[in-house]
Amino acid sequence: MIGSALVSGLGLGSMYGLIALGFYVTYAVSSTVNFAQGSSMMLGAVFAYTFAVKFGWHFVPAAAMSLVLCALYGLLVEIVAVRPFARRGSNAWLMATVALGIVADNTVLFTFGREPRGFVLPWASEGLMVLGIHVSKMQLAIPAFGLGLAALLHWFARGTKYGKAMLAVVQNADAARLMGINVPLAIMAAYAVSTAFAGAAGIMIAPLFNVHSDMGTLFGLKAFAVAILGGLTSAWGVMLAGLLFGIVESLITAFLGSSYTQILTFTLVIVALAIMPNGLFGRAELKKV
Amino acid sequence: MKLAGLIVAFAAAIAFTAMGNSYYVFIMATLGLTALVGIGLNVLLGLTGQVSFGHVGFYAIGAYTAAVLTVTLKWNFWLALPVAALLAGATGALLALPAMRVRGPYLAMVTIAFGFVIENIAVEWRGVTGGQNGIMGSARPTFLDTERAIAIAAIVLAALATWGFHVLTRTRWGAAMRAVKDSEVAAESIGLDPVRIKTAAFAISAFCAGVAGAFFFALSGFVTPSTFAFSQSILFVLVVIIGGAGSLAGPLVGATIVVLLPEFLAALAEYRLLFFGALLLVVLWLAPDGVVGVVQRLAGRRRKPRLAPAADVTLGEPRRAVLQAERIGIAFGGLKAATDVSLRADAGRITSLIGPNGAGKTTVLNMLSGFYRPDAGAIRIGGVEVQGRAAWRVARAGIARTYQTTQLFGSMTVAENLAIAGGGEALLSFVNYRGDLDVRAADLPHVDKRLVEIARALATRPSVLLLDEPAAGLSRQDKQTLAVLLQRIADSGIAVVLVEHDMDVVMGISDTVVVLDAGVVIASGAPADVQRDPAVRKAYLGEHALEPRGARAAGSGRPFLVVDRLEAGYGAEPVLKGVALEVREREMVAVLGANGAGKSTLMRAISGLLRPVKGGIAFGGEDITRLPAHNVMPRGLVLVPEGRQVFPELSVLHNLELGAFRRGDDAKADIESMLERFPRLRARLHQRAGLLSGGEQQMLAIARGLMARPKLLLLDEPSLGLAPAVINDLFAALDRLRAESATILLVDQMAGLALALADRAYVIEGGRIVASGAASEIAATGALEKAYLAVN
Repeated sequence: MIGSALVSGLGLGSMYGLIALGFYVTYAVSSTVNFAQGSSMMLGAVFAYTFAVKFGWHFVPAAAMSLVLCALYGLLVEIVAVRPFARRGSNAWLMATVALGIVADNTVLFTFGREPRGFVLPWASEGLMVLGIHVSKMQLAIPAFGLGLAALLHWFARGTKYGKAMLAVVQNADAARLMGINVPLAIMAAYAVSTAFAGAAGIMIAPLFNVHSDMGTLFGLKAFAVAILGGLTSAWGVMLAGLLFGIVESLITAFLGSSYTQILTFTLVIVALAIMPNGLFGRAELKKV
Repeated sequence: MKLAGLIVAFAAAIAFTAMGNSYYVFIMATLGLTALVGIGLNVLLGLTGQVSFGHVGFYAIGAYTAAVLTVTLKWNFWLALPVAALLAGATGALLALPAMRVRGPYLAMVTIAFGFVIENIAVEWRGVTGGQNGIMGSARPTFLDTERAIAIAAIVLAALATWGFHVLTRTRWGAAMRAVKDSEVAAESIGLDPVRIKTAAFAISAFCAGVAGAFFFALSGFVTPSTFAFSQSILFVLVVIIGGAGSLAGPLVGATIVVLLPEFLAALAEYRLLFFGALLLVVLWLAPDGVVGVVQRLAGRRRKPRLAPAADVTLGEPRRAVLQAERIGIAFGGLKAATDVSLRADAGRITSLIGPNGAGKTTVLNMLSGFYRPDAGAIRIGGVEVQGRAAWRVARAGIARTYQTTQLFGSMTVAENLAIAGGGEALLSFVNYRGDLDVRAADLPHVDKRLVEIARALATRPSVLLLDEPAAGLSRQDKQTLAVLLQRIADSGIAVVLVEHDMDVVMGISDTVVVLDAGVVIASGAPADVQRDPAVRKAYLGEHALEPRGARAAGSGRPFLVVDRLEAGYGAEPVLKGVALEVREREMVAVLGANGAGKSTLMRAISGLLRPVKGGIAFGGEDITRLPAHNVMPRGLVLVPEGRQVFPELSVLHNLELGAFRRGDDAKADIESMLERFPRLRARLHQRAGLLSGGEQQMLAIARGLMARPKLLLLDEPSLGLAPAVINDLFAALDRLRAESATILLVDQMAGLALALADRAYVIEGGRIVASGAASEIAATGALEKAYLAVN
């Protein structure tokens, strides 16, 4: 039982981690986040379903197209719900992104429909025996894909010129401008990456859960808890927090029953933040007066 | 007037409910309860500035407590109601504990998590809550046995809560909540404890939601978990934001819109969440103060200004006490910001703390006022040790302070700013404030902000007053008035500690001057002695031992950079007041001046980091006045900013590569040449730049700037905070650039260093050029010493 709980915990956790990395990317560059990341995730799943099932596309182009659309949605989030407020130094972006998320969820509700749709991928549900545990291919693909994307992000940040430019914006926006880096553009790019990551998580999760307009809400909130616990200042911290969160959640479900999952995980979040206000892996910020 | 309007509105609502049909009765009841939650949330969100996305949790606690007590345990509703409300309120106070320690998105997360925990407890604690089926029961309260009666009761409750909110905003607690929202730092410095205030706000707010929840159960006769979903919390926030956070009528207007609109526009009912999402966005864009804020602005209530009286006021005798710091020190991430600093401020005396930029002056003030906890040493006031105490406790012990950037409670009026600190209008007269008492502090001109901040600090009846650069940004005349004021404050018996760059002010009024350099006290004594102290002169003016290089033949004669009548700044008062200068090709030009004269502002404006208010900047014949920094830099104008500003988490190599970010070609060869130019960087090539010493970071910053192959290099305070030996290396590096005929505009406090290198120099004082000419001429005149140390 522990084995299968660990496998599903790793899968869930890597998805939380992926969505949470989206929070991390934008927070790092601009100190703002899309609070409605769950909607981005849901959009990824809905787009992929539409292309793959309704239009009958092959899974790969369907997923790729969904990611592009999610990235575009990220640009919209930044332009509509973040920039106008960040510019005047207000923190109303928090509520504005929530509002935009509500709009997105409900637009999908009225266009895509109310009923949850099953996103069946025949190859994904084929089973395998790994170390004596029965797992589906999808359960293996999800953590592999999640960790792969996290590694890709790490490589992009450390190994490419543009990634380094993003890191520079994080560390000192003014100095970055002096290097000729277009900071507003970097922030938009961060938002595009952020929603694309959430969209990717949505596409991966869709075959395991049903696709519907508010599938992202709880996921997004848990991922936010993960990002916060991870400290929002360390990419690996965020991914690690995601895996931990997923495993803890699965273990609680396995041993105490699913009734206690939400109660205990969210209580743990509150307690963890009360004890460590900067998250598990975050660094304290110096108060300047 | 406003109250009369509200009374009429409530009376109309009650009358309508008394006569309307049962459909309207239910809507009016919902409206009343939603308004009640909104008013409670307004205490938290509007007054205290704390967001809660989990308020439905408190609403649920109220409803379920009432349900369990009346249905399962057969209590009377009127007994159950206070229990439900108090339980919700107590939970609110409890939730405040973790919420206190976090802010922004972290706080939002705590409240969201709380909402989910409550919702899921309602689902899972089946024995008590009935699980998904909830609790059903028609135990209507005595006296309120019809829906109509409950609806009227709900409206009366909303009216009472509105009245309560009105009263609260007029009490000291309400003012304290607004103070915490505007500036937590300032709230602490007048002795308010933000933890207690936020806890109270959480408790009041949760209490209101609990009452509403209990009545919700009485009204509907059942509770199920689905009523208390996350989206309901969002609707509660919406009620406050749409109406106008912080305003009295805001939640009423918001609740009306949120509850009634979908009912009246039948087509909308289905799309109500979509509509509310869009509405919230539009409100946030166009009317951050909500509907009520817009109406107030349109109404444009004109009122007669109530001017502060021009009376001759004297301060009462304070508790006289000596402030003593003994060998205090603090380090940030291994970097020592202050070491073994000892100072003594006597009652009735002015003790000034001066030093070059980055010397650690504000750090010392932060330790004295309790914002930083010193790693070592003791701070005593009147013999009582206060080091390590919270800032608000230090304030109560008698240490008041003002800030480099004024920290007034911006949304509160001048009179309210004083009242919350315990002072009256007489103090405003004392500090020579002659303006309106009822104007919002945020709308005050700069000089008045300073005065009101000082008056507010005095209102706490301090023994010691700490002032952080009170003269910054003031006109010469205002500075003189300020100096007289500080003298009068000291004469009343208060110990005044002054951090200030304006040497005229410092030398004119100080009894003792303490000089800090690189976090260490290098001199202390009477002003005249300090002015003569060679160590102080060295700290300010730099090594005179450097051999002047002498002027070269004038450059090609073509003006390369032309700055014309430039005005720029950050607030109302411009820092630069019409600066004109030019740099010719192959020329090295220095801009000199004391701290706060506007040197760095000039550099920021030229490089595009700061958009000028007036005037023009031309570079290579092209107007670059309005270009943003990332478009200025590729034209060949590269700034090496003050404080080095390397990217601390990136390696030295990556820092250098970023210097060439906008170059299309391969920068490898240039990196090699930089490592030859600055050999100490080679050994550090793969280390994080943040781990480098100050001198190495400065070399890296210059190398990073050179990687862009600049046509004109701007250097802002390259010698800032560097040890003398390192300054010699820096000098050599700059001398080499000079020999290579690079075009450079250099700003430095170390006049000795700058003048030894430069061909020409400008002296800037108070945002204006006061002298210019060949470097040797400038060095010969006394203008510089006057500008730096106020030596006549």
